[in-house]
Amino acid sequence: MLRRFVAATALGSAIALLLVSTLTAQTTYKVPRLPDGHPDFQGFWNNTTYTPLERPKGIDREFFTKEEVLEQMKRAAAEEGEQTTPGTIADVHYDFTQFGLDRSQAPLAVNLRTSLIVDPPDGHLPPMTEEGKRLNAARAEARKRAGAITDAAQNQPLSVRCILMDRDGPPMLAGAYNNNYQIVQSPGTVMILVEMLHSPRIIPLDARPQLPQQVRQLEGSSRGRWDADTLVIETTNFTDMFMFAAQGASADMKLTERFTRTSDDTLTYRFTVDDPKVWTRPWTGEVPWKKAIGPIFEHACHEGNYSLTNLLRGAREDEKRQKGASK
Amino acid sequence: MRTTFTVIVALGAWLVAAPLPAHHAFSSEFDITKPLKLQGTLTKWEMINPHSWFHIDVKNPDGAVVPWLIEGGSPNQLIRLGVTKNTLKVGTEFIIEGYQARDGTNKAVGRNFTLADGRSFLLGGSAPGAAGAEK
Repeated sequence: MLRRFVAATALGSAIALLLVSTLTAQTTYKVPRLPDGHPDFQGFWNNTTYTPLERPKGIDREFFTKEEVLEQMKRAAAEEGEQTTPGTIADVHYDFTQFGLDRSQAPLAVNLRTSLIVDPPDGHLPPMTEEGKRLNAARAEARKRAGAITDAAQNQPLSVRCILMDRDGPPMLAGAYNNNYQIVQSPGTVMILVEMLHSPRIIPLDARPQLPQQVRQLEGSSRGRWDADTLVIETTNFTDMFMFAAQGASADMKLTERFTRTSDDTLTYRFTVDDPKVWTRPWTGEVPWKKAIGPIFEHACHEGNYSLTNLLRGAREDEKRQKGASK
Repeated sequence: MRTTFTVIVALGAWLVAAPLPAHHAFSSEFDITKPLKLQGTLTKWEMINPHSWFHIDVKNPDGAVVPWLIEGGSPNQLIRLGVTKNTLKVGTEFIIEGYQARDGTNKAVGRNFTLADGRSFLLGGSAPGAAGAEK
């Protein structure tokens, strides 16, 4: 009796296994390949998203249903199209909708996740270490000592100074608009061109070592390799001014980015931040990149950055007016 | 229009992402206490990044023509949507509501551009939600 039960169970398991593997085979995406056999990621991509980095309060699950997300995206698009209220800070801006800059007017992947952070599983950044708190308090103090952002051009963020944007990262995370990338693969190298601010990341895949420890760069030192069909890029050697410092990270952060093509129009981008100085454990985010229409256009930020001059000059005029009023 | 938004959805506050970061703090460049409304004629559109600039001639009540510079959106997305610097013809008449620059010169951010006959226009050419999201 027992033997018959075991045999039946084994058969059941085998059938189940067969069914699972058949299903898996049916749903496994067959990635296009380059002549050298590696997956083809070449082309234009966009990582615009409505999904927040951390899971919002009141939500305790990892995924929404597709219907829920489509409804939320529709509402968000309508919200973006609404007029701001005159006399509010938000109103002192050009109209995103008028200029085609709303997220709903960009290629937008449907992301069912409730947060970009996939690990820790609660969708939140891990607790900050005492050292991380001290580092960020010291940074805040240094910013305070440097004065107002309108006191000197150097006090403005890198983005306003047309040096780097959040789209550059790394990790490469979407900004409000213009989140376009181009990937070009050649034997031994991959290049990721970030449209805004027109910066290419050129990543060698030949197993060469990272730059010497003392050589520090805003975008770090990146080295790539293939892990089966996933492109893995490891980056170290950041400076203390790098883009992710805004999230609290230290210059000693080790970043691992993983690119996997999961459908014809989706590249899945996973990034793991390992920064024991700042966070009590490594954490991982995932963002779908959606196939976009090329080409990449030049983004000559310095050429048109009248705003920086206007900001500084406006502040000087404010000071003169205040001085005049106090006399 | 909104550069920051808060959407409370039925399931909770999913979309309360960080406010959309503008390229710079517009309220530092332009004066919230100086809203203005200008009517003028386009003389040149500098379709450059990170923000485009509209040059317009504004006729004062005394008949004098005064040039103004109006800050508008970054061009790359527009180019992608098929807009070129020739899309708006020199001579197009606009009514622009906005805020004047803090430095007191004839510069402003154009929060709302409408054509002189009152018609609004979308340079992007698509209503929110018309492009992008999977249908």
